[in-house]
Amino acid sequence: MRDQTYDRLLKDLGATFRPQREWVEGRGLYLIVGHFLSSIGAGTWLFSVIFDSHAGLLLAVLAVMLAGVAHLRFLGRPGRFWRMVHAKSSWISRGFWGMILFTAGAALYVLPKSGVAVPWAADGLFANLTLWVSLAGMATIMVYKGNVYAASKGVPFWNSPLLPVLYIVYSLRAGLAMLLVLFSLDQPGEAADQVALIELWIAVSAAVMVVFYLGVMRNMNVTTRRSVAELTSGRAAGAFYLGTVAAGLIAPIAVGVTGLLQPLSMGILGLVGVLSLVGDFFAKYSIAKAGIYVPLLPVNAAVR
Amino acid sequence: MRYGMAIDLKRCVGCYGCQLSCKAEKGSPPGVFFARVIKREMGTFPNTQVIFLPLLCFHCAAAPCVEVCPTGASQYREGGVVAIDYDACVGCRACMQACPYGARYFNRDNRAYFADQCLTPYEMVRYSEQHQGVVMKCDFCMDRVNAGKDPACVANCPAKARTFGDLEDPASEVSRLIRERGGAPLEPELGTQPSVYYLPI
Repeated sequence: MRDQTYDRLLKDLGATFRPQREWVEGRGLYLIVGHFLSSIGAGTWLFSVIFDSHAGLLLAVLAVMLAGVAHLRFLGRPGRFWRMVHAKSSWISRGFWGMILFTAGAALYVLPKSGVAVPWAADGLFANLTLWVSLAGMATIMVYKGNVYAASKGVPFWNSPLLPVLYIVYSLRAGLAMLLVLFSLDQPGEAADQVALIELWIAVSAAVMVVFYLGVMRNMNVTTRRSVAELTSGRAAGAFYLGTVAAGLIAPIAVGVTGLLQPLSMGILGLVGVLSLVGDFFAKYSIAKAGIYVPLLPVNAAVR
Repeated sequence: MRYGMAIDLKRCVGCYGCQLSCKAEKGSPPGVFFARVIKREMGTFPNTQVIFLPLLCFHCAAAPCVEVCPTGASQYREGGVVAIDYDACVGCRACMQACPYGARYFNRDNRAYFADQCLTPYEMVRYSEQHQGVVMKCDFCMDRVNAGKDPACVANCPAKARTFGDLEDPASEVSRLIRERGGAPLEPELGTQPSVYYLPI
């Protein structure tokens, strides 16, 4: 029986527009899951600190730890993960440091708040120090993912300074979305309304950024134009339209605008949160799926 | 010293000799091509032309793969050769995304060429030298170069389309060919400064 993966590789190598598969298919899906979870973790931590949500703090730590597991699952040699502290110019290395700082700082910060007997007070100097360490890690986690993609010179669709900004916006949104879900289960009231309003504003910003990003990419070069085509009418179209756009942008924004005119139930706000999270995942998935490598020969040449 | 190569597109006949000799020299598993050739037909009948483009790692002086590597496994070695320390690679494949030339391959598993059989005795010997779960690529056959020989693809090209040598020596054959024939690297606008130049048809 022929190896279909090998046959597909040969077909890809002979294609003018070779699709990127390593970071989205097979075990590459773990990388998308890892990015999604770390995005939720970082954003949820920030807004849980602001809105004083203990459940959010715990969930954020759990999300980032699970993100670490997902990343390990993706690696070809996970047992060597500790080597990633090494390099100076690698955004993956910086992200690794960010996750270490966040996990350590956040865990130490949350322990006294969770009632665990520790030698330091929940509001003392050491606790404040751990909070700042966690915030530094959180900021690094928010920033590094988009830059990992932007550093990929081989995939012009990703090689743009817009992508890190988009990923930061989505991380902030993921945090707000998770808080909406938590508040819908536990903490109704003014805080939920404030979170919903900020979430609407960031959702609209994300929608504008996505449109702007695709507009720029469509006009940049033939490869990025091909990637946009993959997103809008190719391999990634289903995920993009159903996940990123419909569930992730249109539905939450529509509900959010409705919420400006009349009060929304906590259940509806929770649903907005879930849909936003679904949209976050599919935004990452579809951007990765639409990646096309730089063509090595003139694109108007017929494949023989 | 900076090792480099000139590939004469006028001489290349698309025989795949470089690809096969590299496979034989390195014993690379299926799905890993340190050297490969792509073919394209240009123009419309009756004014058509077939282009053969031999590809390998270009050992760039400003290699994006080295910049993005989180463990330092991708590194510069003597002569400007970009090498991979297979014991340090974690298999994150960031270098594959950074390389604009498709020169890197992830060795997921040392699979057999004959999918419905176990490894052949040859494969068992050669694959014992390989590393699974890491990214692999051409290293300019440094073992051969250090022994005073040309890389396998250069030595075995029947059309003598490839020339290897020191790009920083203006008297070297490779420097002379690039200078006299107007050799140019692939996608120079990316700023990677490849060490492999193509001599035009």
